[in-house]
Amino acid sequence: MSDTFTDRRFDVARLAIPDWLLKVEGLGKVYGPFDDAVINSTGPGPETAKSPLNGSIVAAWDVSFEVAPGEALGIVGESGSGKTTVLRCLAGDVTPSTGAATIRLGGNDLNIFAVDAAERRRLRVDTVSVVYQDPSEGLKMNVTAGGNIAEPLTAAGWRNFAKIRMRACDLLSRTEVPLNRMDDLVRAFSGGMRQRVQIAKALANSPSVVLFDEPTTGLDASVAAGVLDLIRSLLEENRIAAVVVSHDFSVIEMLTSRCLVMHHGRIVESALTDQLLEDPHHSYTQRLVAAARS
Amino acid sequence: MRRDPVLEVRQLCKSFVLHAVSGRTVVAFDDVSFSVTAGEHVALAGMSGAGKSSLLKSIYRTYRPSSGEVWLQIHAGDYVDMCALSDIEVATIRGHEIGYVSQFLRSEPRRGALDIVIKSARQRGMNEADARDAAATALQRVGIEERLWDVYTSVLSGGEKQRVNLAAGTVHPPRLLLLDEPLSALDPENRERALVLISSLSHRGVAVVSIFHDLEAIQRLATRVLVLERGHLVAERRPDELDERLTAAAR
Repeated sequence: MSDTFTDRRFDVARLAIPDWLLKVEGLGKVYGPFDDAVINSTGPGPETAKSPLNGSIVAAWDVSFEVAPGEALGIVGESGSGKTTVLRCLAGDVTPSTGAATIRLGGNDLNIFAVDAAERRRLRVDTVSVVYQDPSEGLKMNVTAGGNIAEPLTAAGWRNFAKIRMRACDLLSRTEVPLNRMDDLVRAFSGGMRQRVQIAKALANSPSVVLFDEPTTGLDASVAAGVLDLIRSLLEENRIAAVVVSHDFSVIEMLTSRCLVMHHGRIVESALTDQLLEDPHHSYTQRLVAAARS
Repeated sequence: MRRDPVLEVRQLCKSFVLHAVSGRTVVAFDDVSFSVTAGEHVALAGMSGAGKSSLLKSIYRTYRPSSGEVWLQIHAGDYVDMCALSDIEVATIRGHEIGYVSQFLRSEPRRGALDIVIKSARQRGMNEADARDAAATALQRVGIEERLWDVYTSVLSGGEKQRVNLAAGTVHPPRLLLLDEPLSALDPENRERALVLISSLSHRGVAVVSIFHDLEAIQRLATRVLVLERGHLVAERRPDELDERLTAAAR
């Protein structure tokens, strides 16, 4: 058959797929000394993240991906697979051993692993937010809901008390926290409500990137469902580049369109989320999917 | 002159490697080639396990084909090979150009029918207001009452779910419609409505590839029938020369 299509091939650049906003290249985190031999002694092949050569732990290695604005990328894997390490490196909680993470801001590319500590803190205030599994990591428990949200706002330069309060009201109503709870200490909130306050705080300065680390793990099923629905609608309404880390395929399926699978610190497979669920290729992904479907 | 195809499948193969059973390879289908032009309705026939559903899923790319090409016509007559695109490009193009209606509604939890169909229309490139109107029309067309539009689809009946699925697949008609047993749970009245809908889309130029387990649907809708046997395309038939044996699989 003649090749009728080569001269009529569509230029996919015309699809207007948004360019990446977050690009991670060769991210690695090793606890302990390492060289090539140490790295090569770990991973899915040897089935360990801990090197038999010197005991160093290769928590994540050679992790690369891109996320576009308006897109949510999933990272799935069991505990110890390295997915949270990746997220914490991006959040600035953990210093990576190698690699780059570039954020494209108004045409400027900035490697967030290469900036100084002050700049890093500023980025956390207005550009890269995190929603942790444990709300006590993202919130001050002895501060009111309104006070917690005011913190990133004042850090970003907001000074007018009335405006800060209005913004906090707006954020809390978007995350469906009753406004009459605004002046209560977060400590007095239920788990699901704390998570909603944490999400409101994460959105305070309209960040470009939001990182979700097991955002519903540990919540009762019905409460988790409410928080998931909230995250889903926020992702649909905002042009955020999101990374969602979870061991739970139902969370990944609901929130993400593309997904990476991590195992022993490495990416073993990446695909569209429906492909991973219906046609997993890697043996580890097949095991994960089989476990989720049983 | 031969008309340009909307879909041209070339030497497409799909096999699964099952690591849980020591890496056993299972071939779903092998070396399948065919093309579909605008307004054509190609039905796939064959026994259960012949590879019909796997073929549809591989065209939609829920399955990742092992080798081969899937050329799809998109706007201005240009073509893309779905097998040579990045993940994000596949997601964008299939949302825009392909409607896939499976036997079962596998929608996200806690979504209403109207939201599901609006989302589908938005992926086809409609703006919010138009998508809402188109979704309402699509749901009316398949006979879903308005009082069910905002109810979570998990509580709908099997037949209702199937019709929501059909509405999502056909809203703002896609260039290519893939149908995998879309009528199996429908009562006679709704089945008739769905048959009329699918036939009207063909008249509007939508290219269709379908799997039906009943001969009557094939004979009413299909322009050509491709017969699959153990993963191989073995024959092409006119719908009126089909015999019951080829569609008996799903019964």
